[in-house]
Amino acid sequence: MCNNIDVIISNMAAPVSGMGEAPAERLPINSTSFQKKTRSKLVSIPGTRPSVQNGQLLVSTGVTSLDYLLGGGLAVGTVLLIEEDRYDSYSRMILKYFLAEGVVCRHELFVATAQDNPDDILQELPAPILDDVAVPKAVEQPRLTGEPQDSLDAMKIAWRYQHLPKVQSALASSSRFGHYYDVSKTMEAEIRQAAKCHRFCLPDHVTPSSTAHRLESYSALLKSLQEVIHREGFDLAAPMSKSRNILRVGLHSLGSALWGDDLCCHDKPRHRHALTTFLYGLRALLRSSLSVAVVTLPSHLIQDRALMGSITRLCDNAIALESFKGSERETNPLYKDYHGLLYVRQVPHLNCLASQLPDHKDLAFKLKRKQFSIERLHLPPDLSETVSRVSRGELASACGPSASGTKNLDF
Amino acid sequence: MLSELLQGIETGGLLIIQDSCSYSGRDLLRSFIAAALNREEEVHVLCFDVSEDELTDGLKPPATQRLHVHNAYPDPLGWTDHPAFAVQQFRLEDLTDLVKQASQPKPATLVIDSLSWVLRHAAPPAVCRTLQQLRKGGAVRAVVALLHADMHQRGTVGSVCHLASSLVAVAPGPKGNEAVAKITKRSKSGKVAQDEETFCITEDLTVAVLSRPSSLPEAKPNGSEEEQADPTANLTFNLRLSESELEAKQKLTLPFVFSKEKKTALLHPGPGSGRILYEPDANDDYDQEDPDDDLDV
Repeated sequence: MCNNIDVIISNMAAPVSGMGEAPAERLPINSTSFQKKTRSKLVSIPGTRPSVQNGQLLVSTGVTSLDYLLGGGLAVGTVLLIEEDRYDSYSRMILKYFLAEGVVCRHELFVATAQDNPDDILQELPAPILDDVAVPKAVEQPRLTGEPQDSLDAMKIAWRYQHLPKVQSALASSSRFGHYYDVSKTMEAEIRQAAKCHRFCLPDHVTPSSTAHRLESYSALLKSLQEVIHREGFDLAAPMSKSRNILRVGLHSLGSALWGDDLCCHDKPRHRHALTTFLYGLRALLRSSLSVAVVTLPSHLIQDRALMGSITRLCDNAIALESFKGSERETNPLYKDYHGLLYVRQVPHLNCLASQLPDHKDLAFKLKRKQFSIERLHLPPDLSETVSRVSRGELASACGPSASGTKNLDF
Repeated sequence: MLSELLQGIETGGLLIIQDSCSYSGRDLLRSFIAAALNREEEVHVLCFDVSEDELTDGLKPPATQRLHVHNAYPDPLGWTDHPAFAVQQFRLEDLTDLVKQASQPKPATLVIDSLSWVLRHAAPPAVCRTLQQLRKGGAVRAVVALLHADMHQRGTVGSVCHLASSLVAVAPGPKGNEAVAKITKRSKSGKVAQDEETFCITEDLTVAVLSRPSSLPEAKPNGSEEEQADPTANLTFNLRLSESELEAKQKLTLPFVFSKEKKTALLHPGPGSGRILYEPDANDDYDQEDPDDDLDV
């Protein structure tokens, strides 16, 4: 019964000096006096953690269930290939999750699109859920007395928590691995602008000419990426002077006709090796730098399955999405809870002999508001006639004088 | 949904009518032209497949002032010296000039009959790029194109239809003059709506939608927003406060409310409060709608 809604305590307390500062600055994390003694010289980059299986540095994809399928996360220096669903809705969503995770973990981003503006994707990033408990702001009620509204009077009941900030606007919570996002809201502009983002839009770099024998778009993209890696210091060969960071590369709809490639248009494409050469160069570039790439590809348009197989081999992780929208599977009662099927085509084995493929091969995904969940698809219980099971209807009428009931009562 | 499309295509939209040799989509294309003219829009038509007279047959004179036909039918490949329009001119710069020099300042609708002609003589990636640039540029408001799906490879048809914001695939219907249209509409937010309707086209180029055999439910990949329902409405008891009640509530003294000096005294000797550091583990993949993870509904 208080005037204002007092602020509920947030999990992570940012220091007092953090209030009012621009979120772009790096805040010193005010931890306890305990310092963990580490003997290893591992570089600790926010948003990463070493894998429990093979010690690789892992980065979250933004979707926690996908992290679990890929063995804990995406290893730094690898490529994730997402084969798009028919209308490119869910693959685009996963790309947005990946970039949003980069913004929250303060990594740098590199977004490349063929004809659309990369800012279109960046403006649609989902809003992160920073605390699990909802933090409503203090509601302003009309005051009876003429007191000035200073912070001490803003809370009447929970005044002991006065000095804690109300909303976690400063992203000091980047020590977590894997965050949750609310799909119905877009990320606020100030959080997004705090992250450094490099853009690549094909018309700015390549003037199309119909007489070109070789495809220039992929080599322009590779050159631009190499230049960004070298300039911003993501190279592993660069001296380890200041704190390192990860570059997240998002390539949207590679191989589609908008990139100038006829891989999707013809059964026997003319530029057969352009995309595969690019992927080979991309992987080499990523292995020698602190970056991760997510590539989406409209594989449903590629007619040559052998080529699709070699593209899958050239990427480290590969998943394929198949959405039920528009196919005959939509009316199948088996699939009614889910939005589509997910296939894990490949999981890499880096520095080890065997890879950790997921146990279940039948996976289905569902995009909920706060989570993109990937679950094992299981058959519903068999309720056919041959199963010896008394249905509820019969039990209910067994006591009554109905004809079907009497056959169960056998004296 | 067909009637909604006829009433207007959103700005920057690409509508593709996909037909085959069993049913020609040209009548539907002409009804789109007629609907656009009736909405007082400027329409530019690139005419490859049939002659201009056949295309504009049935369109009435007051509306045809806004119709500009670029007749490529006599000489589509530019073999004579002065073609009206040739396939080589299907590029962004030439098309923008063509549209701008003829029409009023407001952007026009571009109708292509048919895109198959262009795809056979130009590279599909270049055609896709031109279509995408036309949508993004300001000269043309919307593009409607006819595509003969059986004339091209599946990948080409798929690539072009991948760009489209709306796709209408027509097939012959159960009765003679009826046809079945499968409509797929993609909105900018990522929602995809599909519908299947039976229609027939009358003499004056209006489309009569006859029946809707099935309407599939829409998927919402971006989630629906929750509406903030007022919890104090529709109750049998009164939860609202009147003005005097509000005043009385604010005057109420609460227990454990200390004076200001005591509050500051208690607050300030508290530096370095504890921090809770938490790494989410597998149990955190928590679904609020299904906490025990045992629902199979």
